[in-house]
Amino acid sequence: MQGKIELMGKREKRMYLIFGAVIAAVWAVSTYVTEFSILQLFTEADTFWQFLTEDFLPPKLPGGSELVNIVQSVITTVAMAVAATTVGGILAFFVSLFGSEYISPFPAFAKVVRGFATFLRNIPALVWAFILFSSLGIGTGVAFAALLITSFAFMVRAFVETMDEVSRDCVESLLTVGATFPQRVINGILPACINGFVSWFLYCFEVNIRASTIVGMVGGGGIGLVLFSYLKSFKYNTAFGIILIIAFMVIVVDLFTNRLRREITK
Amino acid sequence: MPMPKQTAEGLRYNKKGKISVCCKDKNMSLVYFFAGTAVCAVLSFAYLDVDWLKLLSRVPSVGEVFFKLAHFDFGMMDLVGEAFMETVSIAVLSTIYSMVLGLFFGMIAAENIFRIHILSVTVKSFFTFLRAVPTPVWVLLMLVCMGFGPSAGIAGLCVHTTAFFTKSFSQSFEDISTETIEALEVTGASKVSVFTNAVLPAAFSQLIAWTGMRFEINFSECAILGMVGAGGIGYVISSNIQGYQYGVAGIAIFLVFVFAFFIERLFVKIKSLIK
Repeated sequence: MQGKIELMGKREKRMYLIFGAVIAAVWAVSTYVTEFSILQLFTEADTFWQFLTEDFLPPKLPGGSELVNIVQSVITTVAMAVAATTVGGILAFFVSLFGSEYISPFPAFAKVVRGFATFLRNIPALVWAFILFSSLGIGTGVAFAALLITSFAFMVRAFVETMDEVSRDCVESLLTVGATFPQRVINGILPACINGFVSWFLYCFEVNIRASTIVGMVGGGGIGLVLFSYLKSFKYNTAFGIILIIAFMVIVVDLFTNRLRREITK
Repeated sequence: MPMPKQTAEGLRYNKKGKISVCCKDKNMSLVYFFAGTAVCAVLSFAYLDVDWLKLLSRVPSVGEVFFKLAHFDFGMMDLVGEAFMETVSIAVLSTIYSMVLGLFFGMIAAENIFRIHILSVTVKSFFTFLRAVPTPVWVLLMLVCMGFGPSAGIAGLCVHTTAFFTKSFSQSFEDISTETIEALEVTGASKVSVFTNAVLPAAFSQLIAWTGMRFEINFSECAILGMVGAGGIGYVISSNIQGYQYGVAGIAIFLVFVFAFFIERLFVKIKSLIK
C-alpha cells in the first residue's frame, strides 16, 4: 500500500480481474491455435497498401449494358431484403404471440415455439443458403427463402422479448374482464409493443440488406454475385466501384431507417 | 399537442354508441409506414419474379437434405474438430483486437470526452463507410494481401468489427451524464483519466453487452468466411455439401449450432449477473 485511497470497490475490482484474466486466457489459446500475430499486419502493410493503391484505385464503373446490369442487381438485392423482412415480420408476429408464456393461449407450447426459433436462428444465413441451394437449386427465390428463415427466427426472439418486457398488468386486466385472445392482442399487446416491433423490424431490414449481398455472393444473385464475378476475374477497379455502390446503398438504407424510427417513435 | 375533442363525460363513443377504446390522436406515421412497407413488399415480389410453384414443388427435397445431414459421418472428425477450433479462435481474436481498437476509436469518436467536434465527426463517418462494406469483401481483400489462412480471416473481420465497436461504444459513452465527467474535470483530471475512471466504469455493462452481441455475430460470420476461402468450419460445410458428403457437413453444422446456442445462453447469464 502506498497510502492512497482505494477508488474501486472490492467486488468491482474482482469482477474486472476475472474479466481480464478470462480474456487473456482465451486470447492466448486462440493465438496458439491460429498462429496469428498482430505484427504480421505491419510487415504485410506494404503489400496491402500497394494492392490498394495500384489495383483498386481509381474506382471505375463499366458503361452500357454492364451498368444497366449493375443497377438491376442492386434493385434485386434490395428487393430480396424487403420481401424477406416483410414476410418474415408478418409470420414472426403471429408466431411470437404463441412464444410468450403469458399471452399465448397454450402456455405449455410456448417453449417449443421458442426452441424452434432458436434452432432456425443459430444456423447462420449463409449456411441456410448452402443447405437450400443444394436442395432447391440456385436463384433469387432460394436466397429469399434463406433470408426469410433467419429474419423470421430473429424477429420471433426479438418480438417475444419485447412482449415480455412490457407490463403484464394490461393483459391480465383484459383477461379478467373476459377479453378473448384476439381482443387481448389487439387492445393489450399491440398498442404497447408496436413501436418496439417496428424498430426491431427496421433493424432486421438493415441486417438483411447486408446479408442479401452476402447470400448473393454464393449464388443468390444480385449485387453480391456481380461483385464476386468481377473480383474473380481480377477486374479490381470495377470491383471497387461496386464496393462503393454497396457502401452507398447500405448507408442510404441506414439513414432511411433511422429517420423512420425517429418518425414513428415520436 | 392539442387536446382531443371529448364529450362532457370525458368519453368518446363510436357509431354504435359504445365507448371508443381507440386513442384519438394516434401517431399516423405508423399507418403510413405499414402501408408503405406493404407496397414495397408487393413491388419487390413483382420485381424478383420467382417461379414460386416450382420452388414449392421442390420443398420436400429440403427435408431429404436434412435427413441426409442427420446421418453423421464421424470419419473425418479430426478435420472437422480442427476447423471448428480454428473458427472459434478467429472469432475470439477478431473480437478481442477490435475491442481494444474500438475502445480507442470510440473514445475519440464520443462527443463528450475530447469535445473536438470535427475529430469525432471525421472518425465516425470514416467508420460508417468501413461498416457499410460487407465483411466478406474485407476478407477477400485480406486474402489477396496476406495469403490463405486464418490470418486473413482475423484481419478482415477486425475491420468490420472495429467499425461496429467504434459506433456502439461511442454511443454508450455519449449516454453517460455530463455531471460525472464534469465532476472529474473540475478536480483537474486529464482527459485520459476521466475516460478510465468515469466513462469506462459507467459504460462497462453496456460494453459487455455489445461485445457479447458482436462475438455471436463474428462467430456466425466466421462460418461465412470459410465459404470465400479463409478456412475454418465454413469451408468444411460448403465443400462437403457441394461434394455430397452430407454426413460430414451435418456434424459441422451441428457443431456451429451448438456453439452458437451455448454462447447465446452464456451471454444472457453474464448480462443478468452484471445488471
